[in-house]
Amino acid sequence: MQSCFYDLNAERTSGTRLHSANPHILKTLGEKDMEQEVLLKIENVVKTYPGVQALKGISTTIRKGEVRALVGENGAGKSTLIKCIMGVEIPTEGKVEINVDGKWECPKNAIDAKNLGMHANYQNVNIAGNLSIAENYFLGRLPMKGRIVDWNTMYSESQKIIDKFQLNVNPRDTIVSLPVAMQAMITISKISVNDNIRLVIFDEPTALLENEKVETLFRYIKELKESGVSVIYVSHRLEEIMEICDSVTIMKDGTYVETKDVKDVDKDYLISKMVGRSMVDIYNIEHQKPGEELLRVENLTGEKFRNVSFSLRKGEILGFFGLVGAGRSEVMRAIFGVDRIESGKVFVKGEEVHLKSPKDAMLKGIGFLTEDRRKDGLALQQSVKLNTNMYSYDMISKYGIIDLAKETGRAEEYKEKVLIKTPTVEQTVNNLSGGNQQKVVIAKLLCRDPDILIFDEPTVGVDVGAKDEIFKIIENLIKQGKGVIIVSSYLPEAMGLSDRMIVMSEGRVSGSLENEELKQMEEEDVLKLASTIYYEDEQEVV
Amino acid sequence: MNNNQQKTNLKALLMKTEVSMVAIIGLIFILASVGTENFLTAYNLTNILKQCAIIGIISIAETYVIITGGIDISCGAVVGMSTLMVAMAQAKWGLGVPVSMVLGIVVAVIAGLFNAMLVYEFKVPAFVATLGSQTILRGLIKVISNGGTVSGIDKGFSGFASASFLFVPNLAIVWFVIAVICFLLLKYAIFGRNLFVLGSGEEVAKLNGISIRKTIYSTYAFAGLLYGIAGILLCARINSAIPTAGEAYETNAIAASVLGGASLAGGCGSVFGTVLGTILIILIDNVGTQFGIGAFVMQVITGCVIVIAIVIDQLKKRGKR
Repeated sequence: MQSCFYDLNAERTSGTRLHSANPHILKTLGEKDMEQEVLLKIENVVKTYPGVQALKGISTTIRKGEVRALVGENGAGKSTLIKCIMGVEIPTEGKVEINVDGKWECPKNAIDAKNLGMHANYQNVNIAGNLSIAENYFLGRLPMKGRIVDWNTMYSESQKIIDKFQLNVNPRDTIVSLPVAMQAMITISKISVNDNIRLVIFDEPTALLENEKVETLFRYIKELKESGVSVIYVSHRLEEIMEICDSVTIMKDGTYVETKDVKDVDKDYLISKMVGRSMVDIYNIEHQKPGEELLRVENLTGEKFRNVSFSLRKGEILGFFGLVGAGRSEVMRAIFGVDRIESGKVFVKGEEVHLKSPKDAMLKGIGFLTEDRRKDGLALQQSVKLNTNMYSYDMISKYGIIDLAKETGRAEEYKEKVLIKTPTVEQTVNNLSGGNQQKVVIAKLLCRDPDILIFDEPTVGVDVGAKDEIFKIIENLIKQGKGVIIVSSYLPEAMGLSDRMIVMSEGRVSGSLENEELKQMEEEDVLKLASTIYYEDEQEVV
Repeated sequence: MNNNQQKTNLKALLMKTEVSMVAIIGLIFILASVGTENFLTAYNLTNILKQCAIIGIISIAETYVIITGGIDISCGAVVGMSTLMVAMAQAKWGLGVPVSMVLGIVVAVIAGLFNAMLVYEFKVPAFVATLGSQTILRGLIKVISNGGTVSGIDKGFSGFASASFLFVPNLAIVWFVIAVICFLLLKYAIFGRNLFVLGSGEEVAKLNGISIRKTIYSTYAFAGLLYGIAGILLCARINSAIPTAGEAYETNAIAASVLGGASLAGGCGSVFGTVLGTILIILIDNVGTQFGIGAFVMQVITGCVIVIAIVIDQLKKRGKR
């Protein structure tokens, strides 16, 4: 990159500027030195959130010019680790240090990290949608001509980046006018604007990209590597890791498993290390003999899923597994009347229903525990009592007037039943731990006594003890003859709890596993099913 | 252990907005009684109550809207419009007192429904929506009244506002009755609970089977009803309708709600707190005058009190996190 026009930031960073992006200068370092010099030290990083330990002591080092993959299942702690590296979250224990020309620095916040030459490309696109591509590239470091913005330079420099990444867009276009895949490419190419890059983290960068753009990205990563920049690459797609990375760090349940050179491992090895685990018995619950059909879904199609069919019977646990973006939650939201259904039919107890709102679904006996309890499951600033009752006030009131004794009584009753740890039912839900918040959501559903319960990621952000208690509640529910759907991106959980399982990939059902079949399946086989790739003409390729 | 529990309970009690409000009001009351001659007189105290009543009713309505996460800055203009309708009906159109009152309320409820429509159907932020209707209504008031005062109000009707029952002004009695009803609605009705859930987030309300549409329409319409009643009382009190009636009431109403513990982010607020907030605002104004502080300076002081209250509220929230 040219650096003549960075006039504001140049002064601030010139003292520590590493000429990383310039291969000529780097060559003088010599290949050997570069190989050995450590860029990033992660030392015994622990991160604790209220009620959950997300990271339990992670240590590793990354050399200059190394492309390191970070793999692990959902909930393994990859995102938290990235946030700790980038200074977005401060580790509870341990530290992260980066080598800035021989001095060890510790990023205290996101801006600090940027000044130290650390850049991250997060999963959710973080750009200013209403501004132009050029403005986004130079956000916070606009090229100046005296005291006014030098638009000509900005556009011409932006055009250079666009050409380099072969994006074929106009730097004057606003971000919102671009397709999502192109927005993702803009955020990736935005990194190259910076002039003192030392470390770049890509978090699932290819989730939104088509093949051709993936190649562009890989070319860029190779270029970064050659100029001595280290890269941390997070992806579910193990083929990509084999292709682009030097080494791979495996994480599991917030712990560090091991780091290997990519040439020493294969896909099967990685998967077995990612999923291997010792706490299988918490999934060991008593199953029931399924009774009559409660719910049947035929060829359901919506914005993010197509032709989804399945059924759920009394006393049965139906698992729904898929990788991020497979469309599992969207199917559930559609059944619950939140999102629009384009075509297909839903039957509750043999009768076809048209659920237009969550209220309709509730009245038909469906209970829905949503994926993100903080966003739409709980009224966070309100009391445990209100949250427990808010799904079923109509059941304890007459002419819209609530029976307050029953309201308190139910809150107390379910506090005992599902073991919510709170001093009083007047406590604000926001002050409870993740596990207890989830139990309030479950209490809320149980108050309504629905026949069909959909649990979308019931154990996200929930510690092991509470997990076990939640599974006990589910065990109890099927004993009462309820039908339970468990949506999970955590494979051992989905496999360990389900009587039958639906596997989804890219919005379609890629596998429907009956009881016997499921028992014989290895986790690797299910993961393969979940990575089924569909092309536009619906040809199936594994 | 038990002792500790009591200590934390006491601390929690003192942290409650209502308790600290009562303490501040009590303090001002004592200072004013000792420091000035004219404060502790029947005349002045009834006057304070009368001043409180109309603002008090509007503030309660404002609190309802704020709990849902909205805000209503059209309230002063709605009250002004309602006042004008009552006066026009009695003085110009020759209608009876009951009909004029119904008219005053109907106009205010329609304004509320209009606000709700903008907020729900067109997703206009409540601040902008009610700013729009405030401007429209202020304009309409001038068009209808031709910019002049409408007098010729029914004698019995205006007499109600100046009369008292057992030393308590009628206006204050209406205020108390409304406060009690609104308090009970929040405590006992599903409608009240829904306001808090909606204020905690639209998604939360939607996924818990609460109709956002119904809740928003009924909240703004109910607020309109209360503004209508306030308009009727204002017409009786000033014995006429003036084009500027109700101006700047929104500031006091929002301030009273926030002082009483409502959060502009939605999801909290209480009727009792708002009643105390109203009393505090009017009291500060009255006591300031008693001490001989000019009206211009008083406005500065009232503003400072509001800002301090909001800052304390924010600090408390940060402490909780």
